[in-house]
Amino acid sequence: MFEQFIPVLLVLLVAAAFAGLFLGLSSWLGPSRPSALKNSIYECGVPARGSTQIRFFVRFFLVALFFLLFDLEAVFLYPWVILYKGMLAAGHGMFALGEMGAFVAVLLVGFIYIWKKGGLEWQ
Amino acid sequence: MELNLNIPSWSDLRFWLPEAILCITFLVALLGDLVVRGRRTWVPFAVSVAGLITAGAYAVAAMNHGLDAGQFQGHTIMGSLMIVDGMAGFFRLLFIFASLVTVLFAWTSEEIMGKRRENKGEFYALTVLLTAAMMVMAEARDLLMLFLSMEAVGLISYVMAGYMRTSLRSSEASLKYVLFGAVSSAIMLYGMSLLYGMTGAMEFDGIRNALISGTVDPFALLVVVVLILAGMSYKIAAVPFHYWCPDVYEGAPTPVSAIFSVGPKAAGFALMIRFFYTTFAAGTDAGTQLVQDINWPLLVAVMSVATMTYGNLVALRQTNVKRMLAYSSIAHVGYLLMGFVLLSSAGLASILFYLLVYTLMNLGAFFYVVAINNHLKSEELSDYVGIGFRAPWAGAMMVIFLASLTGVPPFAGFVGKFYLFTAVLDKQWFWLAIVAALNSVVSLYYYFKVVRAMFLSTPAEGTDMSPLKLHWLQYVVLAMLAIPTLALGLFFEEFKGLADMAIGMMGG
Repeated sequence: MFEQFIPVLLVLLVAAAFAGLFLGLSSWLGPSRPSALKNSIYECGVPARGSTQIRFFVRFFLVALFFLLFDLEAVFLYPWVILYKGMLAAGHGMFALGEMGAFVAVLLVGFIYIWKKGGLEWQ
Repeated sequence: MELNLNIPSWSDLRFWLPEAILCITFLVALLGDLVVRGRRTWVPFAVSVAGLITAGAYAVAAMNHGLDAGQFQGHTIMGSLMIVDGMAGFFRLLFIFASLVTVLFAWTSEEIMGKRRENKGEFYALTVLLTAAMMVMAEARDLLMLFLSMEAVGLISYVMAGYMRTSLRSSEASLKYVLFGAVSSAIMLYGMSLLYGMTGAMEFDGIRNALISGTVDPFALLVVVVLILAGMSYKIAAVPFHYWCPDVYEGAPTPVSAIFSVGPKAAGFALMIRFFYTTFAAGTDAGTQLVQDINWPLLVAVMSVATMTYGNLVALRQTNVKRMLAYSSIAHVGYLLMGFVLLSSAGLASILFYLLVYTLMNLGAFFYVVAINNHLKSEELSDYVGIGFRAPWAGAMMVIFLASLTGVPPFAGFVGKFYLFTAVLDKQWFWLAIVAALNSVVSLYYYFKVVRAMFLSTPAEGTDMSPLKLHWLQYVVLAMLAIPTLALGLFFEEFKGLADMAIGMMGG
């Protein structure tokens, strides 16, 4: 089964060889006269200042997490809505409704938990 | 088998009552925790204990009913995602028992409850949910459910490992667990996607049928086996996927380490048995593997030897009792894996029996560490000098647990090892049995190093030798574990029979 992948390997090798060849040629033949301005990160815009690894307030992460959580849970409602009509027609309406009811009830407990624990307060 | 597209119905819940009860208990305990104010922190604890006992009663009733009616070959439920059979019934009881004693013991632990008992009851709610998730792991018969249940157990475990929020060690344990868990989940998921791509089936029996029809490339299948085995080995902490284990056990609060060393491992074994014996072997007593080109039993046998040898040798050098117990639990996974490679139902039944015994003795040993930690705030072996005389009854029970872990007669550990070794010798894996026997001898040294520190070493001048006052509940729980450890060493027939039946009644 490996034989059929040999062309793929060849393509990879040729691509690597070409890239290497041209990079090598330009660094060998091209003139190199660096200056402070040329070596700056971008030749346009404002120079970078300070470190990029700054600290975020932990609340941002919390809010982002809650948003993600409830947003994703809401996504689960859509396929249910699509299927509900069919299940209603097939006589499984109460079952489908009960399933979603249980799902939302569990969500609700989670929401109450977050609320009571003060996760929604910006302090 | 035809594709089952039945819409699940509420009547499936009949077979799923223990799990449903535990899920509801989790919600009630969580809400109860929010409602109570002040010093009434016992509410979530009481709710969890009540829920676990009720679920246990239903699990026992279901087991009895299934045995009487002879219909425990398995009910596929939830649209064939899960199966409730004899093996699932056995593991249900095991998990509920382990969680119940852990919850009871955690009530007395300062690491869980805080110095002034200021912590509330999330621990109990989480333990209950963990139990339900582990039970689903033992019931999964579909790749989707397999992954979902493993992730559920994993997610709850990450939170529990970091339960001591202010402790740096605990947070570190949690983070390490998350990172290792994410990587191994990804690896396993990749293997599962390949398997689905090759067989076009998610259910284990569908995969088996596709494998029998023989259109699958053996090399690709080998890759699949290795990838999935890697994910499961992480869950049971088998070498070479054990790196998280000592750090997590040492950093997590000790009651959490106790349940980690037993529950998720047993669940991992349940999953491995069901997955490999329904997809890659023709039943529990097949004698041969299904696809001859890939020798997964030999692969697992090599892992087994590596696991027990590594665990035992590294445990020798440990000075921290908790860390030593972590390495000892790795070594025990090595012993357990021996039964997995035999392709015989005797091997599988001895795994189940050994898991039962291991649950008793390992929980006991960890709980003793919890009880001592409440007073000494330390798990160093050097601090254990003379501790046996300061709490003689608890010390005596710890000796029972350690002797049983070593496998000395007349304790339960000996019987468990005896069954495992017999099964291995029956199938003529002599080299495996010899390595395991040598390993047991090695383990004697480090287990009795603890006993020596507790009872035989002379404490330094000026060491506090006043008696330790342990909580009465701690004595009760330790006795709940020590008495069966003794009794199972003498009257084991009944429980071995239960394990045999559980394997005999494993449905595909």
